[in-house]
Amino acid sequence: MIEFKNVKSIYKRNNHIALDDVSFKIDDGEFVFIVGHSGAGKTTMTKLLLREMVPTSGSIIVNNYNLKKLPKFKVPKYRRSLGVVFQDFKLFPKKTVYENVAFAMQVVGTPKALIARRVPAILKSMGLIDKAKNIPEELSGGEQQRVAIARALANSPEIIVADEPTGNIDPQMAAEIMELLIWINQKFGKTVVVVTHSENLVNTYQHRVIRLDHGKVTSDRVGGMFE
Amino acid sequence: MNHIPKMQKQPPKMKKSYNPFMFIAEAFKNLWRDRVISVASILVLASCLVLLGCFSLLVVNINVNMEKLVSLNEIVVFVDYDLPDDEVQYIGQKIRVLDNVESVEFISKDDGLESMKADYAGFEDVFDEMKESGDNPLSDSFRIKYKDNSKVTTLDYNLRQIEGVRKVNNRLDLATSLESFKNGISVIFIGFLIVLFIVSVFIIINTIKLAVNSHMEEIRVMKYIGASDWFIVVPYIIEGTIIGIFSSVIAYLFQWYIYYSLEKMVATDIQMIELASFGDIGGIVALAFLAVGILTGVIGSCISLHKNLQA
Ligand SMILES: Nc1ncnc2c1ncn2[C@@H]1O[C@H](COP(=O)(O)OP(=O)(O)OP(=O)(O)O)[C@@H](O)[C@H]1O
Ligand SMILES: [Mg+2]
Repeated sequence: MIEFKNVKSIYKRNNHIALDDVSFKIDDGEFVFIVGHSGAGKTTMTKLLLREMVPTSGSIIVNNYNLKKLPKFKVPKYRRSLGVVFQDFKLFPKKTVYENVAFAMQVVGTPKALIARRVPAILKSMGLIDKAKNIPEELSGGEQQRVAIARALANSPEIIVADEPTGNIDPQMAAEIMELLIWINQKFGKTVVVVTHSENLVNTYQHRVIRLDHGKVTSDRVGGMFE
Repeated sequence: MNHIPKMQKQPPKMKKSYNPFMFIAEAFKNLWRDRVISVASILVLASCLVLLGCFSLLVVNINVNMEKLVSLNEIVVFVDYDLPDDEVQYIGQKIRVLDNVESVEFISKDDGLESMKADYAGFEDVFDEMKESGDNPLSDSFRIKYKDNSKVTTLDYNLRQIEGVRKVNNRLDLATSLESFKNGISVIFIGFLIVLFIVSVFIIINTIKLAVNSHMEEIRVMKYIGASDWFIVVPYIIEGTIIGIFSSVIAYLFQWYIYYSLEKMVATDIQMIELASFGDIGGIVALAFLAVGILTGVIGSCISLHKNLQA
């Protein structure tokens, strides 16, 4: 579960109010779009969710962690309860597809035997098993993003957060990635939060849409249209 | 926080397992990936070590030669004139048991006369006559070698307390000034070493920083997927250690070569100077290089990582 309560986030450097009195609640197993024009505060929200920053005021509670009170040394543990997907994939360029996914599991101290069993299974379900030995450079944008999603799923997080997951790939691939995220939501019951400014994408699906405008939530409804 | 509904069941507790070989492998991979920077770091650190080594060895040899040139650890004790032999032997025994005494050599007054005769060539007959007439103006003496310069005043005092001792010849003034000269050199030496060490760390930090900066994005991603700081740091510390080990091995070989050539040169051309043999000090040099090399490598990695882990 994700809960924002009266969240205000100000960038100290220029006193810019990026988020202002933002409140919403996302239940387990929901699929939610967060939309807004450029500069509305979407990435700021992702950064707050990842605990890269803490809100200036208000509270954020994710997976029973109160992010504002979370001590620094517990941040890694918190982040493991979250799977993140970025616009630019952020794969390890020198590692193979297999190693990219396996590494996420090594980071949290997963026993070797378990890694050896789980990684091929994930790659298979993502349709990536034939690419296991390739490095990211040798894959298409859509394939790279699938690897990123596979990596995000590696440690079985309850929540998947994707910031502009389709920003760097062509429309057809984009639709494929969205289908994949929806499938993950439906098949495994993961909470999926997709941040985007792509009109088409949002309007194609009937899901909950939280709209941000100049740092404020202006609408929050199911099957919302991008106006 | 009682309004928060209980989360679904936690995943079953997994026993954590981290493979130490993975970290070492990772470190070697990183070194190889940035091989230009790695080689640069190793050479820079090795040069610093050789510089440190040359300086240390210079100081060691200054000390060795100073002591050789001025054989100071010596006191000559003269006993009363015409003392019977057994009493002289008794004094000798008393001297031998004193603290700080290394060796005692008895020089009879006849021996003394002989060596004087050798020193004053041309006047041999004067000394011969003195000997024949039994008119030796000297008294029996003891030449004492002692161990520790800093405790020579006590020894001097103790010698004077022995009954039958007429005169104690020491070079106390010279010994004290030599001691303070050596102390002065030590202070300069330690100061210089510290400066060199700091410079080495600084250079290493900068070279490793280059490597770390090229991995900054990777470190960020590792943090996003929940890597703990130590998990990120350990391979870099191992990298630093490896750099330290390689540098110290190279520095040692180089140092050995320089010193060996020098030893050969000194042995053939400048026999006045004595060099401490590398066989005797090589072990210490190797250990010191290894310690300093690893320490610098590790400190360098830690400092250059610190900034990147703040994000
Ligand atoms: N590090 C920063 N320092 C100061 N101001 C910032 C910083 N990052 C973002 N901002 C400002 O905060 C506002 C919200 O930025 P944010 O990145 O959240 O927007 P966004 O909704 O993600 O936009 P986009 O769709 O272009 O990615 C913008 O006006 C931006 O200029
Ligand atoms: Mg953004």
